[in-house]
Amino acid sequence: MDLLENYKKAWNNQPDTEGKRSTLDIYKLAQSKSRSIVKWIFIIGILEFVGLNSLYFFVDIDEAYAEYKKMGLENFIFYSQIIAYGILFYFLTMFYLNYKRISTTDSTRTLMKKIIKTRKTVRNYVLFNLGYMALIMVVVTIASINTNFDDLSNKQIILIIFATLIATLLTLGVLWLFYQLLYGFLLKKLSKNYKEIAKLNEQD
Amino acid sequence: MQKDLENKFLIDFETNQNIAHKICRIYTTNKDAHNDLFQEITIQVWKNYSKFRGDSKFSTWMYRVALNTAISLYRKSTRQPKTQDFNDVVYKIQATAYDDTEELQLKALYKAIHKLSDIEKALIFLYLEDKPYKEIAETLGISNGNARVKMNRAKEKLKNILNP
Repeated sequence: MDLLENYKKAWNNQPDTEGKRSTLDIYKLAQSKSRSIVKWIFIIGILEFVGLNSLYFFVDIDEAYAEYKKMGLENFIFYSQIIAYGILFYFLTMFYLNYKRISTTDSTRTLMKKIIKTRKTVRNYVLFNLGYMALIMVVVTIASINTNFDDLSNKQIILIIFATLIATLLTLGVLWLFYQLLYGFLLKKLSKNYKEIAKLNEQD
Repeated sequence: MQKDLENKFLIDFETNQNIAHKICRIYTTNKDAHNDLFQEITIQVWKNYSKFRGDSKFSTWMYRVALNTAISLYRKSTRQPKTQDFNDVVYKIQATAYDDTEELQLKALYKAIHKLSDIEKALIFLYLEDKPYKEIAETLGISNGNARVKMNRAKEKLKNILNP
């Protein structure tokens, strides 16, 4: 007899009393709160949307607007913000729809794919936001150099460009690292399993 | 209506809870983690129960939801010890009528399964539960042929661990 068939017998004969729960226990468990990674992705995703958008509350809008106006950027800022809010709305809708589509009754592969897709929506939104912030930073720097061109020495201009570059890279770097840690921590197991099952299907 | 559904769920789940327990034993190595995963499986089965249409057997459907929870939704708690707690879960099977040799075999089997990857665990579990390839392939979302190939590999790997 095959070695495993032997073990299979032991498997089939394992008692089913160990850890058996009563109907009341099951009822209580079913009512408790899920702590699945899907829930975490949803919570963290919402926090990311809220967090990124509340950054604007830290900026004195009137003062910033006056500055933009001085540099002749008010139209650029106005329209780019309308576009940015449109894009935010698009990402939020996609995020919610993807989240809703996740179903534990799918096959394992489909389920993992959907979870990863939901996470990627938020990642793309963060990437878009970082890009948008970098763009604003660059445009404002160029505009402020332009406005004050006559008062600035070459050395000062180079210094401003350099400082902006460093600040932009630093902000992007820190956010990227935070992102990697957060999702790396949350989705390490899932990503590994997904890769394994995807590889498995490539062998067709 | 909700009450009816709840009652039906409770009966179905109680009768089939052993599926969840076996999956917990495969995917966790201590009692706390076992209970955590069992709780999450119960929540997921209940949450999706209204989608269960009864065109398949409840147990078939539950295998899928429970395995999905173990593989994709459940995150091991960070304080999960390695194998030293093994005997804590595996399993104070002290049923009196239970054969000694079989108990040892079962312990060895669980220990060996713990060394497999999550996907291999799922394959071996479905094999031990005598599921047909078609069902295994559908549960995991892979082709029939791939289920066969991968199953043979997982079985070989398990044999090598059991009998090096």
